[in-house]
Amino acid sequence: MTNRSEQVVPHFDRLPEPEQIGQMATWLAQAGLESLELCNEAAGLKLRIRVGQGAPAAMPAHAPPAAQPDAGAGLVAVKTPYFGHLCLVHPQRDSAFAPVGTKVAQGDIVALLTLDSLQVPVPAPIAGRVAEVTGQAGALVGYGTVIMQIQPD
Amino acid sequence: MSETPRFSRVLIANRGEIALRIQRACRQLGLETVAVYSEADADSRHVHEADVALCIGPAAAARSYLDPDGLLLAARLTGAQAIHPGYGFLSENADFADAVEKAGLTFIGPTGASIRMMGDKITAKRAMREAGVPCVPGSDGPLPADMDAVKAIALEVGFPVIVKASGGGGGRGMRVVERVEDLAQAVTLTAKEAEQAFGNPTLYLERFMQKPRHIEIQVLCDTHGTALWLGARDCSLQRRHQKVLEEASAPGIAPETIAEIGARCAEACRRIGYRGAGTFEFLYEDGVFAFIEMNTRVQVEHPITEETTGIDIVAEQLRIAQGARLGIAQADIPLRGHAIECRLNAEDPFTFMPSPGTITRWDLPGGPGIRVDTHVVAGYTVQPYYDSLIGKIISYGATREQAIARMRVALAEMKVEGVSTNIALHQDLLADPAFARGGVDIHYLERWLAQRTAS
Repeated sequence: MTNRSEQVVPHFDRLPEPEQIGQMATWLAQAGLESLELCNEAAGLKLRIRVGQGAPAAMPAHAPPAAQPDAGAGLVAVKTPYFGHLCLVHPQRDSAFAPVGTKVAQGDIVALLTLDSLQVPVPAPIAGRVAEVTGQAGALVGYGTVIMQIQPD
Repeated sequence: MSETPRFSRVLIANRGEIALRIQRACRQLGLETVAVYSEADADSRHVHEADVALCIGPAAAARSYLDPDGLLLAARLTGAQAIHPGYGFLSENADFADAVEKAGLTFIGPTGASIRMMGDKITAKRAMREAGVPCVPGSDGPLPADMDAVKAIALEVGFPVIVKASGGGGGRGMRVVERVEDLAQAVTLTAKEAEQAFGNPTLYLERFMQKPRHIEIQVLCDTHGTALWLGARDCSLQRRHQKVLEEASAPGIAPETIAEIGARCAEACRRIGYRGAGTFEFLYEDGVFAFIEMNTRVQVEHPITEETTGIDIVAEQLRIAQGARLGIAQADIPLRGHAIECRLNAEDPFTFMPSPGTITRWDLPGGPGIRVDTHVVAGYTVQPYYDSLIGKIISYGATREQAIARMRVALAEMKVEGVSTNIALHQDLLADPAFARGGVDIHYLERWLAQRTAS
């Protein structure tokens, strides 16, 4: 049986790909669920996905600040939807999420914020091409920090 | 002290003047500070001065200053080992206090159990009565469901009575009843409101004092059995249950009377194992004190007590949380001179509507006996999202007259442009003959404002 969800998290012996995390977040949102937690203690893995749906104060809704085109170059800033350590490279791979020049669709994960075991995806606010990466990998960044600029399509 | 301190870095879970006040105390004690702030407060003074500053959310307090999970995560990420909640926001949230300690951090304040006990007005009153703190005559517990029984209680207490929600506070969830025939309807309505507002329909009733003053006692307790009282404050000048101007000591009340009440408050603290700073609030009328509630946190008006006792209350909060013993004995606390605090609000002096905006001029008063606690600097923008307090002017004098005279000059020197303030209201109050005599009741300011509008 090739159930899609099994495909996404086969045995949870490694962290899912960012696209898969994004897909799971979408499914959670569609199902009206707030969060999902996967844990594999033997492998020391833990994944928590939380999605914002105007949920009560208990958990911040990670709605990114509204995308506003920069008046000058027409660039759109990618702002962090929460605070945490900025992760520009997928933790399980060596490749960056979205280096300069990457073509992204709206909602694509372009970075992660890590807070201990909690990981918060940073989605692209708009479709386009990554024009500049200003965030420093590993830095502790606050809510609403500009980490990238996207040149919209 | 040879003991290793419990914490060296403190997260300040607040904003505005109190965040700066806490930061000052931390720095004087050699503690590092973490400022967590909302997007709207990015340019705040304490944020710039902090060892670590972290924006934790948008302007909405529910997603920043009122978000317990976010604050705990921020503490973990920034290496803070203690959290000072200030006043307002989560300062009297027992679950938050418990969560902080459960996370292995120090909550700079009382235990969650103490906060919970005092947060419920019925259990608080019962505990105080048992500890010998005088309370207003009342139902001594939740009102029974049977209306005839409620009537019997009210008749025994004596009309007028006030029906209050057990989970209420800040002037909400209460109703005054003048006659026994109006009681049933008032009880039904208040219970319904309490259910909606606080999720708890439990009511109690007490005698309604007609022209009381608001007198409060500051306490300070360590974790080694020492509980001190630091004199009284008179906070009777209120508008819509918001204090406007406070003074210490309370004019016209004998020091021996205050000492007796103070000693009972301290004794109550020892009994319940209270820790840190706290305030017992009383109504006072015709020589009778009646406990209304205890605030389990530092208060806005704490500086006037600092001026009349020489004790740095916020620094003591930090030292107590480190596990230190209070280094002062009750007999050594001087209650000297007189202090007044005027709360400066960015608001229209007549309509009291908030007046957010950018402050273009900010000239502060000075001279002997004048202290200004404020986070505002020239160019600061008063945000519409939070309360409108922009600072506090505190005057101290050897006598009440001297404190008033110094405050008059200070208010005249204080120049604010860009936003409206209530400076003129304070000036009018200081010029009022009844205020000059001292001892006005808690309804005085509202009556005074009504007359001002009428004339």
